[in-house]
Amino acid sequence: MTNKSSTGPAQHGTVLETGGHIGTQIETRSKVSNPLLTLSGISKTFPGVHALQDVSLSLWAGEVHMLMGENGAGKSTLMKVMCGAYEPDAGEFRRDGIRVEVRNGADARRLGVAVIFQEFSLVPYLNIAQNIFLGREPMRCLPGIIDHQRMHRDAREVLKRLDFDVDTHAMVASLGVAQQQLVEIAKALSQHARILVLDEPTAALSDRESERLFKIIADLKAEGVAMAYISHRMEEVFELGDRVSILRDGKLVASMPASQAMPNELVALMVGRKVDMAYTRDARPQPGRTVLEVKELAAANGVHDISMKVRAGEIVGLAGLVGSGRTELARAIFGVDPVTKGEVLVNGKEFRAGPPEARECGMAFIPENRKLEGLALERTVGDNLLMAAMPRCFPKGWYIPAHANKLARDIIGQLRISTRGPHTRAQMLSGGSQQKIVIGKWLLDDAQLFIFDEPTRGIDVGAKEQIFELIDGLVRQGRAVLMISSEIGEIIRVCDRAYVMKDKTIAGHLERGDLDEAKLVRLAVHRD
Amino acid sequence: MKSIVDLLHHMSPERRTLALRLIAMAGLGLGLAVLADSFGSMNNLVTVLRQASLMFLLASGLSLVIISGGLDLSIGANVSLSACLAGTVIAATGSSIAGVAVGAGCGTLIGIVNGWLIVGLRIPSFIATYGTMWILHGVTYWYMDGQTIHGMPSEFRMLGSGFFGGIPLPVYLMSLFLLAGTAFSQRTIWGQQIYAIGANPVAAKLSGIPVNHRMLLVYTMSGFMAGLASLVFLARLNSAEADLGEALTLQAIAAVLIGGTSLFGGRGTLAGTLLGSLILAIVLNGMNLLGISANWQPFITGVIVIVSVLFDSLGRRRRA
Amino acid sequence: MLFGLIVIFSLTAKDFASSANVWNVGTQATLLLLLALPMTLVILTEGLDLSMGAVLSLCTVILASVDIASGSLGLGLGAALAVGITFGVLNGWLVAWMGVTPFVATLGTMGLAQGLALVATEGRETVGVTAELRSLWEGHWVGLPIPIVGALVAYVLLHVVLYHTRFGARVIALGGNREALRLAGLNVNWYLMLVYVIAGVCVAVSAMLLTARINGGNASAAIGMEFDAIAAVLVGGTSFTSGRGGLLGSLFGVLTVSVLRNGLNLLALQASVQVAAVGLLVIVALAIDARAGKV
Repeated sequence: MTNKSSTGPAQHGTVLETGGHIGTQIETRSKVSNPLLTLSGISKTFPGVHALQDVSLSLWAGEVHMLMGENGAGKSTLMKVMCGAYEPDAGEFRRDGIRVEVRNGADARRLGVAVIFQEFSLVPYLNIAQNIFLGREPMRCLPGIIDHQRMHRDAREVLKRLDFDVDTHAMVASLGVAQQQLVEIAKALSQHARILVLDEPTAALSDRESERLFKIIADLKAEGVAMAYISHRMEEVFELGDRVSILRDGKLVASMPASQAMPNELVALMVGRKVDMAYTRDARPQPGRTVLEVKELAAANGVHDISMKVRAGEIVGLAGLVGSGRTELARAIFGVDPVTKGEVLVNGKEFRAGPPEARECGMAFIPENRKLEGLALERTVGDNLLMAAMPRCFPKGWYIPAHANKLARDIIGQLRISTRGPHTRAQMLSGGSQQKIVIGKWLLDDAQLFIFDEPTRGIDVGAKEQIFELIDGLVRQGRAVLMISSEIGEIIRVCDRAYVMKDKTIAGHLERGDLDEAKLVRLAVHRD
Repeated sequence: MKSIVDLLHHMSPERRTLALRLIAMAGLGLGLAVLADSFGSMNNLVTVLRQASLMFLLASGLSLVIISGGLDLSIGANVSLSACLAGTVIAATGSSIAGVAVGAGCGTLIGIVNGWLIVGLRIPSFIATYGTMWILHGVTYWYMDGQTIHGMPSEFRMLGSGFFGGIPLPVYLMSLFLLAGTAFSQRTIWGQQIYAIGANPVAAKLSGIPVNHRMLLVYTMSGFMAGLASLVFLARLNSAEADLGEALTLQAIAAVLIGGTSLFGGRGTLAGTLLGSLILAIVLNGMNLLGISANWQPFITGVIVIVSVLFDSLGRRRRA
Repeated sequence: MLFGLIVIFSLTAKDFASSANVWNVGTQATLLLLLALPMTLVILTEGLDLSMGAVLSLCTVILASVDIASGSLGLGLGAALAVGITFGVLNGWLVAWMGVTPFVATLGTMGLAQGLALVATEGRETVGVTAELRSLWEGHWVGLPIPIVGALVAYVLLHVVLYHTRFGARVIALGGNREALRLAGLNVNWYLMLVYVIAGVCVAVSAMLLTARINGGNASAAIGMEFDAIAAVLVGGTSFTSGRGGLLGSLFGVLTVSVLRNGLNLLALQASVQVAAVGLLVIVALAIDARAGKV
């Protein structure tokens, strides 16, 4: 790409990085004068959420820069800004020290940035080679005509690096998740980028495939490629990383060389508080009767051999890595996805129907993606609050707006939802308030078993606390809660006990006293 | 002038939609009264009212379907077939009651089939009803074989052309269904659930709303209303041909859209559809009076649909 | 796709298998193919073009009028192309930039086109085009009827474009994963519009054949043909949610539909019944797909 002028050694960590960070080490580098890519003061806001606030970081050639943070901390947004998918509201980019504009994907590509996405950017009905070279297909002499032979040959070469032996004519739709991830990686590699951004690339891979990837990353390092690597896995951070940066609630809170980082410190920085193991919860009542019992359940969506129970008055966590099947389990219990084996018992009675009947039994489901699955954004707060409870609040079938509004106002007050009233459109509220509406919807229906899927995803710190209090309040009233969470700190802090899922089944169970991060992680970690 | 603008500003969005339509209608009416002498005549106004009532009967069922997030393209063909069948029965047996039963029954049956295709076989609504539209079209043409049915008994004709207390009968029907429909959509939980389904079908399902059942209901109702409308058409025209309902689908969609119902689902009112029907009736009537050839009608209707949808899309973007 | 063969064999009505009839079916099918091919592309992008039939009719009217008035075939063809492209651009603009659901957008433009055609002809027919024009339907070229040559050329062209050019890959991506295109830095809207413009061009080309065949222009000449085209594409295996099937499938679909119509025709069932049957065929095809878990 552009050549780097050597105007003498530059100080790492001074002029180029602004914004708050702790623990930087000033190093001098004699070889390269400027980082390959620098982001300064990047901010990005979406309605209701400050996804990124004044984030600055640099990517140096031949260095792997680890990005860590809890869900919703802003890692994905930052990555999308880097590859041009999002345009930042503020901040600037520098390539080799020179100011550049990155407004769209083409700009980013011109700078030599390639991204490996977690939610794939593959086209299902094109074959592997076509996907790898989408938009950059090699052409024959006639402009516009694809040179298929060369494309497939090049594709095979890239895949060989990944030790991935597959027919490049196969359609991506026919591949498994891990294989699709490999194609995604191949796509990025084939761009011969100078700057590579990886978003949890090993999430879907086996150990062997991950090792292969690590070897490639080592090769790329030697070639002088700068890499930004988002990861949840502590082992990866220390095996691969040269630098570690922590994002929390949209801000870059720390940045340090990997050699100086300590795992506990990193976790503390991610979570923002000391994880208090001795968090006492004696005030909670003893668990009561078994509200939910699952016996050797298997469902069409892939979960199998699930046995667990949840009792009144307790918060049971469901931990595990992304893709371990937790959402699928919740959907199977709630009746959304069909059950193929085993039973679900609610209050002792067998349940084997769909969501309407689940509702009747007193179940509640708060989905992961509240905007797409939990709320009707175009409708009002009041309408949303009543969505589930109408049969219960209006048993005769007649809907009375005045009564509905009163009920809505009651819940708004009870949950302290910050909104002007039941007539505001749900879209206008913040993430935290929207989540409260989804919870309120089920509260109005007097649900007894609450199944939460990532209840605090995308919610800022203050609101998170309120949600935790809310959930706590639920079990004090004698309800039962099953809480799916990817944030280990959350599970440890909030739950009475936890099941851990791995590969679509239950890997283990930890009681109150055993709940600690190490054990949770060990049970959750992917092994072949 | 300013006070009206202020008033509008302070209304809830639903009220404002209706108010704007009312104003538009008044404006159109006044404009036409000036341009065409006979527009304001009692006779003509009654005709317009009658037309609008007919259109409303058909469009009301469609409104519910659209509010639920779907589309029913088969209503025009439904009307054709139901009218032809009802007409045949009446002509053969002389019994208006039998005719009514057959017409309404046929319409409802078609609605049920649509519902089954969409809910049971999971065929997207616009394809399913597009397919049934053509099937019905084919069956109707084959059945009628180019002939026309006429000579409906006078008591049956009252349904379409008759008066009661100085007001055309169809208007009573229209009022009845306006009230019933509004009561259903705004004051029953089923109606509210249909709005929810239109706004976000996934969230509705995950909130325990029996989506399949409600959707089936909505298409059945649309079919029933089409059947009912076909009877009134038959009564009014006093004849039935295979192409009776051909232009009606597009017109009904126009009426619903003009009335402020969004194709995206989740919003809209029957009162709006009524105003939409009135406005459309006025426009078409005005075109007639001004001597504009009937050939322009599909064109104008098409333009109206596109313009309404554009406004709908823009409004959605602005709100987002 | 197997339907095609099944239907062919099951309809052993009289004269069905006669060479004259096969020839007949073939030439009729070319018109439908010219519509079904671009429709395949449109459906691949998760859209629909309901305006094809109406625009086709309009084009025949324009083509015939210009041809008769000016005596020049070239001028007529140019006019028809202009109309087709205009509607293509309109459709594309509505769908891509205005975000209107393709279905509704093309429903509206269908009304527009139909209206224009009706107005222009006052419901009458324009008859008696130049011999030059007529020869497009009746003439031969290297031993094959021109229509068949035209259809073959169209098929080959579109096949090459869809499967061998970058443009084609992007069209497939439009339907499969539009986001992927955006992330690759490409302008999605242009490609979407181009698909509808291609449809417009194909409609204009088929207008040439149709006008030649009916020896004039008629506002209702092709009303409803878009339905046959959609049916052909759906039966051929391409669907809205998956990008499978493709041009070859649509070819089979076209043959299936044409054979069905032809067979029913020979069995003395009128056009209306044929349409009903086609509708049923579509529903059956979709139902089978749904059972197999696709759709």
